[in-house]
Amino acid sequence: MNCYPFSKEETGVKKKYLTPVLLLCMITKVMNVNEILEQALLYDFYGELLTDHQKDIYEQFVLEDLSLSEIAQDAGISRQGVHDLVKRCQKILEGYEVRLHLVEKFLSIKEKVHKINEVLDSYEKQGMEPEKMAERIRKISDTIIEEL
Amino acid sequence: MAVKIRLKRMGQKKAPFYRIVVADSRSPRDGKFIEEIGTYDPNLEPSGIKVDEEAAKKWLNNGAQPTEVVGKILKAAGIEK
Repeated sequence: MNCYPFSKEETGVKKKYLTPVLLLCMITKVMNVNEILEQALLYDFYGELLTDHQKDIYEQFVLEDLSLSEIAQDAGISRQGVHDLVKRCQKILEGYEVRLHLVEKFLSIKEKVHKINEVLDSYEKQGMEPEKMAERIRKISDTIIEEL
Repeated sequence: MAVKIRLKRMGQKKAPFYRIVVADSRSPRDGKFIEEIGTYDPNLEPSGIKVDEEAAKKWLNNGAQPTEVVGKILKAAGIEK
């Protein structure tokens, strides 16, 4: 998407006005998508550290996508109670991530392994020289080791 | 009769993957759903959305209520009532 930057001559008043809105839309869109992924990953990594009751409620909210009132009805507690519990769980999980960075490391290493696979692909399919491939893979694996 | 369209988490640990399902909101816990109308994979960039457009429209027009997240996904896929 090429909504920015406009050259000054082309930029009419209307376009200038629209640009921040467009950008904001794109940003919120990206954030929403990441939010789901982030919550799921946080739960996968640190969920076991919640109490059984917290886990039960939080799972229904994040994994089953149930609404607060549906969970409340089913568990026999108030909607506000479920809301508080979910917020507290999110805070706890985020607190673990701030201190331990396991998700961050996981994502970064996953991306680097993906890069290694790309290098291997270009070796197999586009005939990259073996020395060059070895050098690139060694570089990536070094950064992985550094991060561990 | 409240029917909802919601996500259902599948996939392994650390590799979330969702089905978009139509389910009865009166029995939220038993995991039964009426119909699967698509999938959502947030791991891909941009995230992979597959929706059976016809079924989604049919359910929306019959008054099925999408959850907030599903609403966003359907909107991103260009499906509206």
